Amino acid sequence: MRRSSFAIFHVMAVIVILVGLLTGPRLGIINHDFLTFLSPLLPQGALLSVHVLFGCLLTLIAIVFTVATIRTPFHGAPSKFDKAVNYFGYLVIVLSIVTGWLLWLNPESLSLVIHGLSATAIFLYLVLHGIKHTVFKGKQVLSVLLPRNALILLSCSIALVYFCGLGIKLIVAEQHLRLEVAPLSRQSHLEIDGKGDEPEWLRAKPIKLTTFGGANFLDGSSEVEIKALSNHDETFFLIRWQDPSESLEHLPLEKTSDGWQVQENGFYRFDERTYYEDKFAIMLSTTCELGGDGTVQYGDAPLAGKPHNWHGKGYHASTDGRTRDLWHWKALRTNDMYLADDNFFGPPQSVALGQRRYTAGYQPDGKESGAYVMNWRWYSPNEVTPKRMPIPSPDITERKVLDWFASETYNPQQDMAKIGEQLPSVLYRSNRFEGDRADVRARGEWHDGYWTLELVRKHQTHSPLDVELRSGVCMWVSAFDHAQIAHTRHHRAIQLRYML
Amino acid sequence: MTVASRLILSLAIATVAISYLLFSAPEREIPTHARFIKVTNDMQFLSVWQGPWHCVYDKKLNLLWEVKRDDESIHDGYWSYSWYDGQFGHADQGDCYFEASHCDSQDLIRKTNQASLCGSAEWRLPTPDELRSLIQTPNSPGKPHIASDFFPHIKNGDYWSSEAGVSLPKSFKREKLGATAVNFQSAETLSLPYENAAFVMLVATPSTPLSLAQSRVEPVTLN
Repeated sequence: MRRSSFAIFHVMAVIVILVGLLTGPRLGIINHDFLTFLSPLLPQGALLSVHVLFGCLLTLIAIVFTVATIRTPFHGAPSKFDKAVNYFGYLVIVLSIVTGWLLWLNPESLSLVIHGLSATAIFLYLVLHGIKHTVFKGKQVLSVLLPRNALILLSCSIALVYFCGLGIKLIVAEQHLRLEVAPLSRQSHLEIDGKGDEPEWLRAKPIKLTTFGGANFLDGSSEVEIKALSNHDETFFLIRWQDPSESLEHLPLEKTSDGWQVQENGFYRFDERTYYEDKFAIMLSTTCELGGDGTVQYGDAPLAGKPHNWHGKGYHASTDGRTRDLWHWKALRTNDMYLADDNFFGPPQSVALGQRRYTAGYQPDGKESGAYVMNWRWYSPNEVTPKRMPIPSPDITERKVLDWFASETYNPQQDMAKIGEQLPSVLYRSNRFEGDRADVRARGEWHDGYWTLELVRKHQTHSPLDVELRSGVCMWVSAFDHAQIAHTRHHRAIQLRYML
Repeated sequence: MTVASRLILSLAIATVAISYLLFSAPEREIPTHARFIKVTNDMQFLSVWQGPWHCVYDKKLNLLWEVKRDDESIHDGYWSYSWYDGQFGHADQGDCYFEASHCDSQDLIRKTNQASLCGSAEWRLPTPDELRSLIQTPNSPGKPHIASDFFPHIKNGDYWSSEAGVSLPKSFKREKLGATAVNFQSAETLSLPYENAAFVMLVATPSTPLSLAQSRVEPVTLN
């Protein structure tokens, strides 16, 4: 291989690796808090697509370089130190490429760990390799980084590799998981009870996938199995996922010597990971792009002109003006309503200055009435005043939700609660939502390390905030193990295919 | 440049980069609203993220607005009232817990003035123009047309104004006259019979110059 050819490979590899090293940690911050210190240096926005594209480019460059080297090796004159450093570099780059593809095909915690470690090793390699050559060669390094005698060839090579990599990425991004929606006769009746024990479910072909990167799950991951059935009006989903514990608490209030206090571990920055209920979310879209169809915006301020978020992870928002449907089942707040909270991801909403939390494109559908409120008059991390207390009754069972008619207005003079006593923070003002927000019926049950959730919705709700259920629609799922936002995820979309 | 100087330069650049990463904590400026200021019952201004607040000072109109609550007090946002000024209108046709009989707008005005909410004893129904001035596009579907971050318990319903003796549409066959209301769901102004149960948000002209009020210095709390 000629020196100019080697230099071209070198320049392209440097660019691609640097972009990978800048975008990768930004994705990693989602489930690795210790990476947050890097945040000021990292880019923000819908970066998964960029990271995958540059992964494809690096793969392409590595393959072509390997073939070219086998055919006509490049004979430089490296020292023993350089040779050792270079072999180390080649090894960790290959490791990073392999684990990147494994993460794409079937995300596992081990692949994620090795991918992160290999990226760290690549960074070390760049430091060793780069500093050594910069210190000892000075300006001569520029001739390697920018081969002046081959600028046209370099430009053409970059363009060629970029478009080839883009093509590979587009092909890769189209490799969706397929969920067959089996037909269901009008006579068949499915009870939405979280059991999924009707014989009709045996005819539905399941898909299984690993979701990863969530808080509290074993290794942060949860296996999810999904089945779907459909009649002419509605689609039913039966979803089962691993969760080692049934969590039904939602920021409970506890009496302390200083008064009532919200039990929390992260709620102040809207990232509660202890005192929260289990949840499950399904996103639906008519398009199937990477990064949750482009709705995942990474970073503490990924949207220009919009506020910083408090946890530094990111926002959900669409940047193409379209709406994605979101069903958000909550084990405590909506399960007893037999509903999932019908929400959506839309364009970033305008900023309400009086609200400390900004949720960008994540919003609930409108409702006419109903549902729950928090059982405190005003939140403070130090002390709160409850709105209502349970009416003392020998029949009352220990409930994590406070019903309006089983409670009375809080009166500090009549507060006989002992220190350590707890009070629900979720207050039901009515039994369920009414209106657009109540389109998805759902019920879940936890048993022996698994949640089983049944959901049903009409194919067409005629709401501009909902997505019509039909063949070609893509879905993504996320599980939450007593966490407010730290959910699991997967990259490959699940595409619905109706058999009816 | 010698090898040593290049080495020192590299180390210096690395030190600057690491220091920047470690010590560049994100700054969080608490914003201010161009028109509204949260005010506590004892007349203290709060920043936009502090609370609880009981009134909102409207810099544009030099008015204090009553802030509705979810605490079953007389200011609870769920209570409704018939229009009544003590002489005209229809008494006690609204729904509330704080009166033995049902409620009308005069009940809320009387009780609020007795309590000197936010230092004022001159609470009244707003004029239609004052009410309409609060209308703004909601930033979430299904929310009322008002700044819900400053007026959090306003419902998608009708709110009485002070304007009475207005002709009613022909659809109201029994009554000929009523009062003007503003609907915060549709952002429309309408005429309703006095006996209708509608919501009320009171308004007052500040009795003391609010610019002299002190800001409360306390930890910021969430809403």
